[in-house]
Amino acid sequence: MNAIFVVARGTFREAVRDRVLFLVLIFGGAVLVLSRVISPIALGEGPRITVDLGLSALGLIGIAIVVLVGTQLVHKEIERRTIHIVLSRPIGRGQYLVGKWAGLAATMATAVAAMTVILMAVGVSVRGPSIVGPLIQAGFMIACANVVLAALAVLFSSLSTPVLSVLYTLGLYATGFWTNDLRSFAAQIPGFAGEALRVASYVVPNLEIFNLRSQVAHGEGTTLLHLALAVGYAATYTAAALSLAVVAFERRELK
Amino acid sequence: MGTILQLVSGTRPAMMVPSGPAHRPASDRSAVRVDGLGKDFRHHWTRRVKTAVEAVSFVVPEGGAFGLLGPNGAGKTTTLRMLLGLLPATRGHARLLGQPAGTPESRVDVGFLPENPYFYDHLSGLEFLEYSGELAGLGRAAACAQARSLIERVGLGPSANVRLRKYSKGMLQRAGLAHALMGRPRLLFLDEPMTGLDPIGRHEVSELMRELKKDGVTVVFSSHILHDVETLCDRVAILRAGRLLAEGTMDDLLARGESGAEIVVVPRGTLALPPEFIGATMEATGGRVRIALADGGRASALVSWLVAHGHEVQALVPRRRSLEDLFMEMFQGAHNVGGEPERDADATPRVRKAGR
Repeated sequence: MNAIFVVARGTFREAVRDRVLFLVLIFGGAVLVLSRVISPIALGEGPRITVDLGLSALGLIGIAIVVLVGTQLVHKEIERRTIHIVLSRPIGRGQYLVGKWAGLAATMATAVAAMTVILMAVGVSVRGPSIVGPLIQAGFMIACANVVLAALAVLFSSLSTPVLSVLYTLGLYATGFWTNDLRSFAAQIPGFAGEALRVASYVVPNLEIFNLRSQVAHGEGTTLLHLALAVGYAATYTAAALSLAVVAFERRELK
Repeated sequence: MGTILQLVSGTRPAMMVPSGPAHRPASDRSAVRVDGLGKDFRHHWTRRVKTAVEAVSFVVPEGGAFGLLGPNGAGKTTTLRMLLGLLPATRGHARLLGQPAGTPESRVDVGFLPENPYFYDHLSGLEFLEYSGELAGLGRAAACAQARSLIERVGLGPSANVRLRKYSKGMLQRAGLAHALMGRPRLLFLDEPMTGLDPIGRHEVSELMRELKKDGVTVVFSSHILHDVETLCDRVAILRAGRLLAEGTMDDLLARGESGAEIVVVPRGTLALPPEFIGATMEATGGRVRIALADGGRASALVSWLVAHGHEVQALVPRRRSLEDLFMEMFQGAHNVGGEPERDADATPRVRKAGR
């Protein structure tokens, strides 16, 4: 457990000092503040649009960090052979991989938390204090969704090149919000193709479960049960993705 | 100056895994035991198999320094990576300090300096060593204390808080050495430790390795630089194209074959050696003649003859066969005996088609 924590802390420290992360955060902060600017010109829909746009920006910041940092996390270490430094120590490959994921997840969660605080300030100015609770819930759910995507990014990064990892991760991110539609679509296709699509719809992470954007934009939060189910789903999916990553990574030759 | 082990303070916390001599058979005093270890690489698409290391076997006793010698592509680095579990072995097995190689348990008391090390750009030298120490199983306070003393020891004290991306190649090599020493390992693997170092740096690293030997640390290092290996190592293994050509103590290996002698003479008039010394070579420089004898046992007879004929003998120097002589003889021998054409040393050795 200690080794995982040490690797996670090292990953977090490396990531937060990366200029890319800094640029993402500046961009995200600017979008959140600008969303406040358009509020007066939105013909009465200003508060709703401000929160909606702000949450969209929050989601994009999370996925940007996961993709930009996560997809090259392990691959870069293999390419540059810094991984030899770590794995020549008495730690297992599984511990290393889980540590990398934890560091990435912590980086992403910290950034999302910081952005949520900015969004809360913006949201309170347009909707009053009642928006704080729903915004915290929405920020938490965005972080949960990105924790799942971080596990997938680590899986792809440990097996593939950064470019392919980006494509895979973004592909799953995009389809993750359409899993229900995918299932409806699969039901209309007969035979093997339909069955394969149905199975795929369950393999792809269901990110819609973490999406509170519409209801929070209307000032509403969600139930504790929904939050608990989402956390349980995130934990299960993350554990499965990381287990797969560890199994594959154990066999990988580090030339 | 205190020894390295005195310099690095801190204690290792209790590990989950047993390690150390207490858990090993009393008869096994080897730091490294390699038995038929080999590695094939299979091309992802063509399925062709390239043999990087055939099946090497050697034993490194505890304490002292062991040199892995060979040209580029000989299999030195691949062997070290197999021992550390970075590459799974295709055949054979090995043990480090009594533990099966490749397991985290086998690396509890092991330090490693990779060839041309790369580190984390955004960490300072000190932060990197602290990180390394914690990975080695040290507590945070112990890792910090050890990192501070080691960074001073390798001469990077003034640059301790500078980010690693600003380090020169020599500084990175020193940082890598300090990393390998974090956690006070009993077994050190150093892959080309002198690479990138200037003469002063090389001297300091040599001194460091002597101190480590004195402290009972087993040092296994690979190198192209034969002089370093000859002066530092007690035992060597010589690899060529993935095969072990020779292994043994330095004295045994260098004692093989004849040792010669060199005589420096100021000749009186013309110097022509008698027929019994017909094999000797002569080289005239600045009024002196250097006579090289392949058989040192005949040097005294030649000196007597030279003196008897009025020549002035200025020096008689026994010529011990150097590691370089041995190395060249072996590689010449391997080429001639095998009858194979010499391959590019950097090219991967044999290629054969494997079944799917």
